[in-house]
Amino acid sequence: MTTPTITMVKKIFADGSPCKKCGEVEEKMRDAGQLDQLDKIVIAYEADPESEGMQLAARHNVDRAPFFIVERDGQDAEIYTVYFKFVKEVLNAKTSEDEELKEIMNDVDLDFL
Amino acid sequence: MGSITNIVDIDSELAVQTPQEILRYALENHDNIAISFSGAEDVVLIDMAYKIRKDLQVFSLDTGRLHAETYRFIEQVRKHYSINIDVVYPEASRVEKLVVEKGLFSFYDGDHKECCGIRKIAPLRKQLLTVDAWITGQRRDQSPGTRAAVPVIQDDKAFARPDDKLTKFNPLANWTSKQVWDYIRENNVPYNELHDKGFISIGCEPCTRPTGPGQHEREGRWWWEEATLKECGLHAVNIQK
Repeated sequence: MTTPTITMVKKIFADGSPCKKCGEVEEKMRDAGQLDQLDKIVIAYEADPESEGMQLAARHNVDRAPFFIVERDGQDAEIYTVYFKFVKEVLNAKTSEDEELKEIMNDVDLDFL
Repeated sequence: MGSITNIVDIDSELAVQTPQEILRYALENHDNIAISFSGAEDVVLIDMAYKIRKDLQVFSLDTGRLHAETYRFIEQVRKHYSINIDVVYPEASRVEKLVVEKGLFSFYDGDHKECCGIRKIAPLRKQLLTVDAWITGQRRDQSPGTRAAVPVIQDDKAFARPDDKLTKFNPLANWTSKQVWDYIRENNVPYNELHDKGFISIGCEPCTRPTGPGQHEREGRWWWEEATLKECGLHAVNIQK
């Protein structure tokens, strides 16, 4: 399998403040030495729909941040909006079940259950 | 791009269809598909689906903290439709650890997510690893947030098996609570007796209470916590501009 090109898209709110989860994910990746495996970090400026990150979100039909675009030669881009899936499936890193459940609880609206 | 385009296209087509048509599409296109039944008004899904196909896979999450009325109702539904309802439980050792360390009502001191994670989400995840698609009663009007965008079909990335796909259908996404209740009454569908006691949203007993006139149904759940805004949504309205 060829080495993929990985882009992380993180968000800046309309008031200029950074998205909390984007910061947490970036920090976690830094601590785990995973940031080096990203080829590019792109910003989605909420106030600027023309910003590269917002355009990528629109193109890939993503409504969450951060997200990761994994591109391999000759294949469709794969989009990861769930951090633990991204690190497990793309970076082959380990995550704990507690961390995974926490991310699901924070990210997915399961209040209907 | 193929799969994304596909889901978006199908969602646009299904979004204008009735819940019954969406259910028919879901049941005809997936053999290994299960309905998630919470023991509340999502019983309409079972009624609708049963009229399409009798061999339904239905599961309910038994957190161990449901109302007695909800247990009775799940049993009533099982008998009424003569279907098997797969009752799913949390892992005993994890519940025990939580209770030993934090007591039986830890959610009142912190937030409810730790308890929900152990009692609901972990068993849900385990259950969803066994299917290719699932059906929920999630509706847009259940969430007070303006960002609430519940598609009728979605690629469920959070619960999918590793390197695999899981499709989630929300056939009631575009229905209102009134439409659901009109259906229940017109079709004589059994319902949870808690609804007659003022409960709109029904979850675990310690975390659910009746709501008063004019209150949103979500005010009957986790009322001791401040509503927090989800921070990481990328506003679709901005993206589309």
